[in-house]
Amino acid sequence: MDPLTARRGDSTPSDQASGGRLRTLQTIGIFCGLTAGAWLGAAEAPTKLVTIGISPVVVSLAMVVGVFVARWSLPALIQGTSYIAADLRQAPHLIVWAILAGCLWATANTLTIFAVRDVGLSIAFPLWNSNSLLGILWGIVLFDELRGADWRHWLGVVGGALLMFVGAMTLALASSAQAPAHDALRGVIAALAAGVLWGTMYIPYRKAYLTGMGPLSFITFFTIGELGMMTAIAVWLSGGVAPLMHQLSNVSAVLFWLMLGGFVWVVGDLFQQYAVKYAGVTRGIPLSNTNQLWGLLWGILVFGELQGGTQSLYVKVIGGSIVMALGALVIALSSVKPGEHERWKARAAREAERYGVDSEFTRARVEGLTTGGVAPKRSWVDWAIVSAATMTLAGFGLLARTPDIPFRWESCAVLLGALLVALVGCGLALWRVTKFN
Amino acid sequence: MTPASKPRVGRSLLILSDVQFWIPVGVLAGGLLVLGWIH
Repeated sequence: MDPLTARRGDSTPSDQASGGRLRTLQTIGIFCGLTAGAWLGAAEAPTKLVTIGISPVVVSLAMVVGVFVARWSLPALIQGTSYIAADLRQAPHLIVWAILAGCLWATANTLTIFAVRDVGLSIAFPLWNSNSLLGILWGIVLFDELRGADWRHWLGVVGGALLMFVGAMTLALASSAQAPAHDALRGVIAALAAGVLWGTMYIPYRKAYLTGMGPLSFITFFTIGELGMMTAIAVWLSGGVAPLMHQLSNVSAVLFWLMLGGFVWVVGDLFQQYAVKYAGVTRGIPLSNTNQLWGLLWGILVFGELQGGTQSLYVKVIGGSIVMALGALVIALSSVKPGEHERWKARAAREAERYGVDSEFTRARVEGLTTGGVAPKRSWVDWAIVSAATMTLAGFGLLARTPDIPFRWESCAVLLGALLVALVGCGLALWRVTKFN
Repeated sequence: MTPASKPRVGRSLLILSDVQFWIPVGVLAGGLLVLGWIH
């Protein structure tokens, strides 16, 4: 039976079971997108440090070092390096794609720091979050997402993304009065360029997940491109290795906070990767872009932004947030139906054929199942990686001092509590249903 | 022949002949140009 032409009445018990699993995976993908939004929003908090005069390049490099530490230690802790090695044997060509995605990320992240410096977080944030619109375009054009979906789903995804964009722009307008504007044009171009880079980064993401590589394996190689590109950019823009080392030693007391921001970012990105895998680019990325709402919450509640504003300011902030949340809700309700999912599977089969990947591996992984029959085990290598990561963070933590910026610890504790609830809830669901595949 | 044992040259050619590969490469080059200009 051709799955693309199968009618409802022709479905077998196996089809129905598969449909039930599809719905479960979709729901998990949507929750992963929302959890990603919360964690990615929190990770933007350390970029506030540019406002106390730290070089954007140093901020970006320190965050990427934290990202590197997290991207090696979390996969080692969750699945073990044997799982990653097994993935690598199945689809070795994806190493190139992962490294390329890492290069895109590092360049985009550096651009965002320049954007925050020049136009402020509240304007830069919605501009680079336009990446979800580009991500949707690539998802439709290159990966057959939304093909086979009815008009309501098209309207839900595209309309929802546009609603989120309108909400984001309203939030930007609301806080523009408080933003520093050293060089507005440069900042706006930097933010838009970052959006294009991040929107295009979803091509390698989707490519990897359609072929069957697990997010934990993908990010392990992704970070090689990320750290390599970031180091090259930092040396280039700082005028050499010696000036860069000098700048880093001058800010050693705040490096820990930047690395911690990178670590938090990876947790959010990991959920974003699972959202892309199980809900697709067209749903996963807009949902994870609710990070702007969380960024706003951190800004207002923890850093005391927008204090003493006019009534019109608060109307714009509340209105923009509601419109953005509505957009996310509309997208979350536009779940993938079996017809569209069959298109995904057909696309995955073409990828597997092109690159000579075992079609059984690809099929099982698209459905979040383990292949090979032997569960991956952790070895001393994994524990050595986790120990080294912990000691690195602890070492920088000992050197750290609290930056001299307004900070409300009580609000921070409440937001951290919300992050932990989302982490535990979504993490447990992922483990039960997919074993983090 | 397993994917890992495929000749590397063959795999590289497959990647280089994939149109989807050149889109991120082009965007990355553009991003680096913008970064150089902004800096």
